Amino acid sequence: MSFLNNYIYYIGAVGLILIGLYILLAKHNLIKMIIGLAIMDTGVNLLLITIGYIKKGTAPIFSKTGLNPRNMVDPVPQALVLTAIVIGVAVLALALSLAIRLYQHYGTLDMRKIKEQRW
Amino acid sequence: MVNPVLLIAVPLAFAFSIPLLGFISKRIGKYIPPIAMLFNLVASLILMPEVIRRPVVVSLGGFPAPFCITLFAGPVGILFSCLIALVGFLVSIYALDYIKEGAREKYHMLYLLLLTGATGVVLTGDIFNLFVFFEILCISSYVLVAYLGNKAGVESASKYLIQGSIGSAFILIAIAFVYGQFGTLNMADIARSIHSVSPIQLFVPLVLFITGFGVEAALFPLNAWLPDAHSSAPSTISAVLSGIAIEVGIYAIARVVFTVFGASSILLFLVLLGLLTLLVGELSAFSQSNIKRLLAYSSIGQIGLILFALGIGTNYGIAGGLFQFITHALSKVLLFLATGYMIYRVGSMEISSLEGMGKKMPLSSLAFTIGAFSLIGLPPFVGFGSKFLIIRSALERQSLLYTVFIGIVLLGTIIEGAYFFRVVQVLYFKSEKINRKRPARRSFGVGGEEAPATALIPIFILMILIIVIGIYPKLVTGILNPAAGELLNRIGYIQEVLR
Repeated sequence: MSFLNNYIYYIGAVGLILIGLYILLAKHNLIKMIIGLAIMDTGVNLLLITIGYIKKGTAPIFSKTGLNPRNMVDPVPQALVLTAIVIGVAVLALALSLAIRLYQHYGTLDMRKIKEQRW
Repeated sequence: MVNPVLLIAVPLAFAFSIPLLGFISKRIGKYIPPIAMLFNLVASLILMPEVIRRPVVVSLGGFPAPFCITLFAGPVGILFSCLIALVGFLVSIYALDYIKEGAREKYHMLYLLLLTGATGVVLTGDIFNLFVFFEILCISSYVLVAYLGNKAGVESASKYLIQGSIGSAFILIAIAFVYGQFGTLNMADIARSIHSVSPIQLFVPLVLFITGFGVEAALFPLNAWLPDAHSSAPSTISAVLSGIAIEVGIYAIARVVFTVFGASSILLFLVLLGLLTLLVGELSAFSQSNIKRLLAYSSIGQIGLILFALGIGTNYGIAGGLFQFITHALSKVLLFLATGYMIYRVGSMEISSLEGMGKKMPLSSLAFTIGAFSLIGLPPFVGFGSKFLIIRSALERQSLLYTVFIGIVLLGTIIEGAYFFRVVQVLYFKSEKINRKRPARRSFGVGGEEAPATALIPIFILMILIIVIGIYPKLVTGILNPAAGELLNRIGYIQEVLR
């Protein structure tokens, strides 16, 4: 069980990414695909956080005495995730608004039926 | 001296000022993008001689190099920012009259954001910053593809969005891997310590990077979104997407492969990918009857050619690839701009409906012909020089394999020639079928339906540039050689940043 204990966040992150990818590949409803996209984004963000995470870590404040620098959590991935979340929100909002317009035009969200563009 | 930060900051500030200015007057908005891009063009040109002597490295925030976000304005970055500013300036002049419907302020704001994102990607020296600018570029292009709000636009935008977001997620995963291994995001810092880990650990992030950027660059198995998106966007947006956005994707691949990973063993793979993309693009373009889809598939072919040239990996090869970037940007933008008003006048994108355009819109037809000939690689246009350089550099490898590859590239060129000549033939040598059902159509004289002046000025400038650079390629080789050197010389890049 020590393997699970050590790598549980990595397993969770990769699991979320794979679930998201599966939904994107296998589902045809645009709303479900957008949900898959959101799950995948969450997985990627979790992966980034995990890289900088230390168990029982503290905030990286050097001016405060009593904090061991070895236990400090790397702040850079958290800053990255903050940016990635904002980007993800923008993409999701855009995707949902496109889904609304798509429904107005076609009356369905099934991507199998929406195929006017063909090579 | 101009600080390279301004190349990003000024268009960004202008972009967000457009909706604010919209409160004062609805008509100011469209004049902002030309101003911002003119500034960028002038600033890049001022920076260029300085950068050729020595790259300008800016540490943002005042921290020393590996701890801050660096901007690396080397020859490659300035070459691209110059190209982006030039194309952006000309297309925004074209858009003054062309964009008449829809939420115009938002169009101009997003257009400027797209160009800002592209400029940021080519100038940044930080891998996460590159991702952020790349996302700015991608998100604005998703919206602009759907700008017209019609069936085709919304459908292709949502497909583009889904595929593009998967690509972006891959890039982010790769960044996570790289950060986990090296604990830094600075490209030079990663490049310095890249050989300290075993190649197998680098394989996964490299593949993820190539896949992620490959979606935006429309490499062969990932190019499904491109023909839809480029053909259903307004012509100005198709021009910018085709001339700038996909090239920036290829730039990102080149930067990651050459500078960050120094992966010379993967170059043969890039060459094969490029050839496959070239053949698929040209063959699909050949069978199109829709003019904008034809141009979109031709872009895929050109991207393949650029990747092939970069993959050759010699100084000449990379210089040829960068030259092909210039060719493709100028020629394809000219083609899209020239077809923009033709489509607008006839109301159809079918090639057959363009019959007789040579008489009705002589200047646009001439522009189309020049753009097409330049892409095929006929002298004295700019495409001749770049294709010549690519083939010469492939011949210099002196191996049977590359001789076969040249054969494939030339085959692609022949196919390209075939479909472009077909369109040119339709423009000039087929008289319009007399349609008795629509005799009420107003009869225009020769040139009576020509595009307005705001469209003709950028078209003229592009035509002149294509011919002048074609006749006198020394104008650009002065920047191409240092640029190729920058991509090949990793050590120099690392030393410049971590001085």
